[in-house]
Amino acid sequence: MLEVVGLQVERGRTHVLKGLDLAVGAGEIVALIGGNGAGKTTTLMTLSGLIKPRAGEIRYTPPGGRTAVDLTRIAAETIVRQGIVHCPEGRQIFTSLSVAENLRIGAYLRSDRAQVAADLARVYGIFPILAERRQLPAGNLSGGEQMMLALGRALMARPQLMLLDEPSLGLAPQAVDQIFETLAAINREGTTLLLVEQNASMALELANRAYVLETGSIALSGSARQLADDPEVRRAYLGVA
Amino acid sequence: MSGYLTQQLINGLTLGSMYALVAIGFSMIYGIIRLINFAHGDIVMIGAFVTVGLVTATGLPWPLIALGVMITGALAGITIDTVAFRPLRGAPQVTGFITSLAVSVLLQNLGILLLTAQPRNFHFPEVMRQRLPVGQATLSIIDLSIVITALVLMAALVFLVKRTRLGMAMRATAENPQVARLMGININRAILAAFAIGSALAAVSGLMWGGKYGQIDPLLGFLPGLKAFVAAVIGGVGSIPGAMLGGYLLGLAEVLFVGLLPAEYSSYRDAFVFGLLIVVLLVLPNGLLGRSVEERA
Repeated sequence: MLEVVGLQVERGRTHVLKGLDLAVGAGEIVALIGGNGAGKTTTLMTLSGLIKPRAGEIRYTPPGGRTAVDLTRIAAETIVRQGIVHCPEGRQIFTSLSVAENLRIGAYLRSDRAQVAADLARVYGIFPILAERRQLPAGNLSGGEQMMLALGRALMARPQLMLLDEPSLGLAPQAVDQIFETLAAINREGTTLLLVEQNASMALELANRAYVLETGSIALSGSARQLADDPEVRRAYLGVA
Repeated sequence: MSGYLTQQLINGLTLGSMYALVAIGFSMIYGIIRLINFAHGDIVMIGAFVTVGLVTATGLPWPLIALGVMITGALAGITIDTVAFRPLRGAPQVTGFITSLAVSVLLQNLGILLLTAQPRNFHFPEVMRQRLPVGQATLSIIDLSIVITALVLMAALVFLVKRTRLGMAMRATAENPQVARLMGININRAILAAFAIGSALAAVSGLMWGGKYGQIDPLLGFLPGLKAFVAAVIGGVGSIPGAMLGGYLLGLAEVLFVGLLPAEYSSYRDAFVFGLLIVVLLVLPNGLLGRSVEERA
């Protein structure tokens, strides 16, 4: 579905990604773990088009599509149309818009009103608290509720591939559990997930496969199980001695 | 209430309507790209001259003239953003600010070059000068049309910003342009819309300005532009309701200052307006309805 080859990205004078390769297959949950400054967020921002790479290719084949599109040549606001939604780090909901508006703006490009209404009902079904607060400014929500809103907003675009940047960041443990259960459910319903996480143990538990990113390129990759058992990974990312 | 005071309030509302229409554009443009656009006042001048041009050339009825003026204003705003400001996106704020001063100087001098600095008379039909009694005061049809038109336009604007897809896209872009793009919003289009709408409102206030004062010249946009900026800051720059409130408060305050103090103080009206700005900012650094910058981030 997604194939990244030799991706090189500079931000300012820093060479953040130095030839990154990764692949995501349709229906998978793929985790990308790594320390601070390894380039995880930059990777997602490049995939969604907010940053343009210096070199490399991002080939995306939508499900049922025959030909791959090179995402490095498309603007961010057009990449959404391809079925890729980026749920950014720190949630970044629109605090001055109401909860309901945040969800509707997730479906900004869609014109199938009946389907959008059905999806809205579905999101309210997954997160009943959002339905209760639909008229409130989104800035009034708690951190966990804001994460639900960010996920709901992403779902409203009917993504084929969801890029998630640190969904557990700053949340209470129960909220993290709920978010991860929801991610598993979203995946069961057919959405492919590429997940960036500091919380490597949670990420490896959820994912099918994982990549370890170190200073701008992939250091290790394999099934989530393999990596969770790898002594290096356990020491460096899972905090196990 | 004495007739004199009523009269002053009527005058203040009329002036406030024009300030508010200009201030809205200031606030919209600042809200969406953090640009203090000093060329905004010159759209008022463009609106006034386009009015004269359309009246002379076409003789259309006034509502159509007003529509034509708004469309021309919108096109002027779009052109200015495309030519002057879009190439500077991402540049430091001061760069945009200085560029806007340059655009302002350019527009004023283009006006002098093409239209001469000679003031021109602005002919409204005589019927507009008729005065209706309001208690012991009187209200001219011009004043009445200015206030009603302004209120209708502001109601339409609030509807557009609060209830339409474009309005939602503009608000989202103002809050977080990067994430707005992730939603599929074309932020350049949202920014153009803010320029177009703000400039249309400023242009129609140029029509009002000419109608109210009877004379126009290429530098006429400078002072109303500066005062509308003050109104936008008093209301809380970036806030559309704030700009409306600031416009009316400033119009009323200015007229009452001139009307209630002895005549020898009236030449200090502009000093009073800018003094008021300083006082408001000392007490409320974010203006009346503005949000703090920290909160925005």
